[in-house]
Amino acid sequence: MTLAPTDSLYIALACYALGTLAALLSLFAPVKRLQNAGLLIMIGGFAAHTWWIGTICTRTGHPPITNLPEATAFVAWVVFAVELALWIRYRVYAAAFFVYPLVLLLLTISAVVGEQFATLDPQLRSNVFTAHLLLTTVGVAGMLIGVAFGLLAFIQDRALKEKRRGRFWEWIPSLDVCKRVSYRALSIGFSIYTIGLLAGVLWSYRTTAGLMDLRVKQIGAVVAWVLFAMLLQQYIAGEYRKKRTVLLSASAFVAIIVAILGISK
Amino acid sequence: MPLILVGLNHRTAPVGVRERLDIPDSRLGETTHALRAIGGVDGAAMLSTCNRVEAIVSTRDEDSIEAIVEWLASIASANRAELEKHLYILRHGDVVKHLFRVCSGLDSMIVGEPQIGGQVKKAFVAAHDLGTLDSLLTQLYEQTLRVAKRVRTETGIGEHAVSVPYAAVELAKKIFGKLRGLQVLLLGAGDMGELTAEHLHQQDVKQVFVANRSFDRAVELAQRFEGAAVNFERLDEQLANCDIVIASTAAPHFLIEPQQVERALDSRKRRNLFLIDLSVPRNINPEVGQIDGAYLYNVDDLQLVADANLGLRLQKAREAEQIVVREVEAFRKRLVAQDAVPTILELQQRLENIRAAELEKCLRKVGPMTAEQREAIEMFSTQMVNKILHYPILQLKEASDEPHERESLRRTIRKIFGLR
Repeated sequence: MTLAPTDSLYIALACYALGTLAALLSLFAPVKRLQNAGLLIMIGGFAAHTWWIGTICTRTGHPPITNLPEATAFVAWVVFAVELALWIRYRVYAAAFFVYPLVLLLLTISAVVGEQFATLDPQLRSNVFTAHLLLTTVGVAGMLIGVAFGLLAFIQDRALKEKRRGRFWEWIPSLDVCKRVSYRALSIGFSIYTIGLLAGVLWSYRTTAGLMDLRVKQIGAVVAWVLFAMLLQQYIAGEYRKKRTVLLSASAFVAIIVAILGISK
Repeated sequence: MPLILVGLNHRTAPVGVRERLDIPDSRLGETTHALRAIGGVDGAAMLSTCNRVEAIVSTRDEDSIEAIVEWLASIASANRAELEKHLYILRHGDVVKHLFRVCSGLDSMIVGEPQIGGQVKKAFVAAHDLGTLDSLLTQLYEQTLRVAKRVRTETGIGEHAVSVPYAAVELAKKIFGKLRGLQVLLLGAGDMGELTAEHLHQQDVKQVFVANRSFDRAVELAQRFEGAAVNFERLDEQLANCDIVIASTAAPHFLIEPQQVERALDSRKRRNLFLIDLSVPRNINPEVGQIDGAYLYNVDDLQLVADANLGLRLQKAREAEQIVVREVEAFRKRLVAQDAVPTILELQQRLENIRAAELEKCLRKVGPMTAEQREAIEMFSTQMVNKILHYPILQLKEASDEPHERESLRRTIRKIFGLR
C-alpha cells in the first residue's frame, strides 16, 4: 500500500515556514506579540503535523520511522513537542530561533524527498526493531534540543562576560536555565539514543548475524554517538562556555543530520 | 464622554506646589466626597501621588471646571491665579488618553515605573467604596486598568531596571534565574551596597551575610536583612558559599583577587559566581572578570546597563503610545454607541410602526395574494426601512465625543424623524 503525502503535511510545512519567519523577524523587531504569533502558527502546524503522523500510523500500522521522509518528519515532531513543553515550563523564547528552523528543515526534507511511504516489510516487524527506531529518533530529538540550548547558554555567557547585549538578550532565559535544560536534554537524549543504537545492533545481529553494516547511516550514527559522548563530557566538566564545545556541538549536529539523511542509503 | 480632569504633575509644578496639594491617604475619602459635592459633578475620583494630583470628574456642566479650580486652590491654600499657572485641564477623550497613559507609566518621571498602576487603582477603589463613581467613571476605571495591563504585557515596558541596584538584581536573574535559595555576601556598608542587598533580600534570597571591618556595624546590617554577620578574615570561605558578592567598602585596595575566586569556584564545582563591585576605588581585581564562571560588574558597568534599559523603555514607550491611541478610539466608540442606544431603539421602533401600518394599508388595497407574494412585499418594506435607517444610525454611533455636538446631532435626528 502506498501513501502520497497528504494535505496536512503541506499545511504543517506552510505553518512552520510562517512561524519560523515570524520568530526570525522578532530578532529585528523585538516585539513579544510577533514571537507569540510565531508560536501560535507553529502550534497550528504542529496540530496538522500530528494529524499527518497519525494518518500514517493508522494506514501503515506502525510508527512513521521506516524511511527518510518518515524519520525526518517524526524527529521534527518530537523536537517541536519537546520545545513546546520547555516553552510552557520556562517560557524560553530564544530557542525558537534555532528550533523552528530545524523543525522546518527536517519537515522540508520529508516533503522534498517525496519517497513513497511503505508499510513495513513483514520480516522487519519485531519489537526490537520498533524499539530501535523509536528510541534513536527520540534520543536524536533530545540531543538536538540539548545542542540548541547549549548554544543559548554559550551566547548568554558571552553577553554577560562582555557586558554587551546582542539581539538574543531579551529572548534568552537565565544562564542557569539554559545550562540545566541543555545538560538534561543531552544526557537523557544521549542515554535513550545509546539504548536505541544497542537495540539496532541486537536486531542486526539477529537478522543478519552481523553487528552492523558500514553504510552511511550506521557510520553517521556511531560518529554522532562518539561526538555527543564527548559533548556530554564537556558539560559534565563545566566546559560549556568554551568555543571548542560549540564546535563539537556543530560537528555532532552535522553527524546526526548525515546519519538521518543516510537512512535510505 | 462628559469627562473633565484638572490637575498638576512633576512637569507642570515644582515640588513646592505639589506638596501643598498633596492629599494623604487618611484624607482621600473626605476630599473625594468634597469633589463629588461640587455642583454639576455626577461622579468623582481623586488621584494623589508624590508626582501628581488630579481631580477626575464626569459632568455635563462646563462651569464645574471653575468650581474645581477654586476648590483645589482652597486645598492648597494658594492664590487661584498662582495655582492656575501649574494646572492642566483636560476634557472628554483627552481625559481617557491621559488616564490610560498615566496608569501605563507613560507619563511618569521614570517611564514605565510600575507603582503608578497601583496608585490609580487605589484612587478609584476608594472612590468606588465611597460611592462617588458613576457608571461612566466605573467604565473608565475598568478600561484604564485593562489598557495598562495590556501595555505592560505586550511591550514589557517595566521589565528593565533603570537604577544601579535594580540593574544588579536584573543581572543576577539573568545568571541564576530565580534568586530564591541563593546566598549573598555584602562586603562593607556603602549606601549603594546596602540598597542592592536590600533589593536582593526582597527577592527572597536564602541568606545575606555581612562582613565589615567594624563587626558591630556588620551585626546591625545583618539584622536588617535577617542575615548573619561574618568576620572579614573568613572571606575565602564565604566566597565559596555565596552566589552573589557585593563589594562596597572604602578600602583603597583590592580585597578580592583572582586566585581567591579560582579557589572559590573550584570548591563550588564551577557554579557561577556574580561579583558586584560598587566601590571606588575598586575592591575586586578586574582580572577576576576573565575567569570562567565569574561575572564581575563594577558601578560603571551597572550604570551602562541602567542607561541602556532606559533607552529600551523609551523605545517601548513608543509602541505603548500606539496601543493607547487605539484603545482610546475603541473606548470612545463604545461609549458613543452606548449613549446613542436609546435614540436608535426609538428610531427603529418609529420606522417599524410606520412600515407595519403602511404595509397593512397596501395589503388591504391589493387584495388576496399568495404567501410568497406577501413575503416578498414584507421583505421589500423591511429592507427599505433598514436602508433608510443605516446612515442616521451610523452617524449616531460615530458621533463626535464632544457632548454638545452629539446632543445637537441627536436632536436634529429626532426632529427629522418626529421622535418625542
